[in-house]
Amino acid sequence: MSLVAGPGRGGATQATESVPLVMDKHIKYIQDLNERKDEYEYWLTEHLRLNGIYWGLTALHLLRHPDALPRAEVLDFVIDCMHENGGFGAAKGHDPHMLYTVSAVQVLATLDAFDEFNQQVGDGTNKVGHFISNLQVREGVDAGTFAGDEFGETDTRFLYGALNALSLLGMLPLVDVPLAVEHIQKCQNSDGAYGLRPGGESHAGQVFTCVGALAIAGRLDLVDRDRLGEWLSERQLPNGGLNGRPEKREDVCYSWWVLTSLAMIERLHWIDGQKLIDFILGCQDPDIGGISDRPGNMVDVFHTLFGIAGLSLLKHPGLEEVDPVYCMPKLVTSKFLTGTTTKS
Amino acid sequence: MASHDRPRVTAERTDKDLQREKRKIDEYRSLVERIETRVAEGGSEADVLDLTSDLLSRNPEYYTVWNHRRRLLLRYLEGGDTSNDASVDPNNKQASPQDYLLDDLRFLIPLLQQFPKCYWVWNYRLWILEQIERYLPRQQADSCWQRELDLVAKMLARDERNFHGWAYRRIIVDQLERLAQEAVHGEEGAGQGSRSQEEFDYTTKMIHSKLSNFSAWHYRSKLIPRILDEQEADDTARRKVLDDELDLIQNALIDPNDQSLWFYHQSLMYTIAPDCPRDSAIVLTLTNTDRVHYYEQEISRIREILEDWDDCKWVYQALLKYAAEYQTLDAGSKVYSNTDMRTWLSKLRQLDPLRSGRWDDLEKHLDLST
Repeated sequence: MSLVAGPGRGGATQATESVPLVMDKHIKYIQDLNERKDEYEYWLTEHLRLNGIYWGLTALHLLRHPDALPRAEVLDFVIDCMHENGGFGAAKGHDPHMLYTVSAVQVLATLDAFDEFNQQVGDGTNKVGHFISNLQVREGVDAGTFAGDEFGETDTRFLYGALNALSLLGMLPLVDVPLAVEHIQKCQNSDGAYGLRPGGESHAGQVFTCVGALAIAGRLDLVDRDRLGEWLSERQLPNGGLNGRPEKREDVCYSWWVLTSLAMIERLHWIDGQKLIDFILGCQDPDIGGISDRPGNMVDVFHTLFGIAGLSLLKHPGLEEVDPVYCMPKLVTSKFLTGTTTKS
Repeated sequence: MASHDRPRVTAERTDKDLQREKRKIDEYRSLVERIETRVAEGGSEADVLDLTSDLLSRNPEYYTVWNHRRRLLLRYLEGGDTSNDASVDPNNKQASPQDYLLDDLRFLIPLLQQFPKCYWVWNYRLWILEQIERYLPRQQADSCWQRELDLVAKMLARDERNFHGWAYRRIIVDQLERLAQEAVHGEEGAGQGSRSQEEFDYTTKMIHSKLSNFSAWHYRSKLIPRILDEQEADDTARRKVLDDELDLIQNALIDPNDQSLWFYHQSLMYTIAPDCPRDSAIVLTLTNTDRVHYYEQEISRIREILEDWDDCKWVYQALLKYAAEYQTLDAGSKVYSNTDMRTWLSKLRQLDPLRSGRWDDLEKHLDLST
């Protein structure tokens, strides 16, 4: 079981005006990603394989087809990616890294498979929790943040991923959450948004990771909601799509990161939801399914998930409700996160 | 990461295309397999390094192969006499571990140019620089770090908004400052070895070449408070900096349709707020009268922009934002009326319907609903 994560051959070059959501096409598109081993791209994107499973599986759950991928095969694939130290690599034989470990936990949670995982891998969830907690930087100027792996690169993406996975595992006490929160505050800029590291320029992807981490930590009170909301709402461009930084082009993935951040700070009504829906629908490939970054471009499973998640957050009919903090079905996160802070 | 900016191609692949693609796949997979086999055998010969170079040039996202390369180099570096013994591996081509590190810096340049948004390449480069500092003589390491500034300047000249490039630049500057401080063993006080002024000049240069560079404006907003602290600037100097920056941005606002400029203006106004944190502040002794003066001055300058640009939503937005902030200063004589604010809001609604929900909230906030 391995879904190709890169683009592939395309169908129609441009979706026509006001296309409907082609649900069946998207389901088939994701299922067929496993059959594309005759494409060079399939091999070039092996480093995204486990993320690809998370993107594809989550999209299918939001499309209300949770059983569209063979469950046992998915589980086998995930377990094959695990290392003795509790970390997961992108595919079998790839090195362990935070990015893939988080995807693995998200997939296991979505499949409700923590127990099976522990049966197959002795002490599995514990090992995973410790792999993640060992990557927290405990002292120095970067105290509180997380490294991606043993080589030490730090980034708020890893901090968010760590809190995401640990909270699903019920293991947040393994890390110093207040220290992580302190680090996030250092990444905040005067425009209310957040950067990759302290001093870094505000970026919608980092806003999502920082605000998401604060939501998990129960510290959304630290966000300057109006100021951040202003910056985020200016990401919407006249064509309805959203960009990630001032004066950049729109993109379906940034649309999700901005949208979910607006949802977390209760400012979703500060952009035009209908125009964003139309933009996302216009990025579909109506022939072969899948969603691209912008209308007329190659589709891939990454943009397919973020497009569908965006539509779900905007209450498009026919979709399962998404949890904006986790980018997972609300049905799944509510099982693991009783009494935490997520809000839709 | 995933695909960006790649147009959809509809044409069916011909048999010839399929064959060509199959050859490419076979070649790629056999290269991956060779690397995996050699690594599993614990191979440390130079040719394993060459194989990883070949693969990473085709696919720099293959992070595990970057790690193989790190481990190979570490084995050379830790296994060998670091003074200058070239014979760590009897089969190698007389290259010393030092040569490998310097070669790697060269190897990465075309990759950065071809894949400027690949996290792994930037990170690997930083890792190599750290190893150079550990294993090479101090002077050589210093000049390697120093040359990185030229490299990143070239990268930012190619794409002045490259997020990775700006982040990398800040890391390099931090490193150079650390080296300079180490060199003087912490004599003098704060600001010793600081590059803030040079970096500030660099943002000026970047802004002059293209006003719409939010990355440069952002960096500038972070540098100013630091420079003033390092120079232990007095009140007069601090006030001059604030006035100069406001003049600079007002001159740039000759074209008010660029949101980068408004965000920079907003960041300057933020420094005037009573609750501005100390490390973001420019002037430290602002009284309420000063604040009222700055708001009145800026509001009236922005109203002047309206004379040429009565169809630019940013102008109305700024007026309303600053009017709301001005109100909290309990200003006695207003430089605008409620009628003005209603007019601005109705223009804003008309020019920017996308954010009408936000304007509804603003209307309530300003108590303008009739």
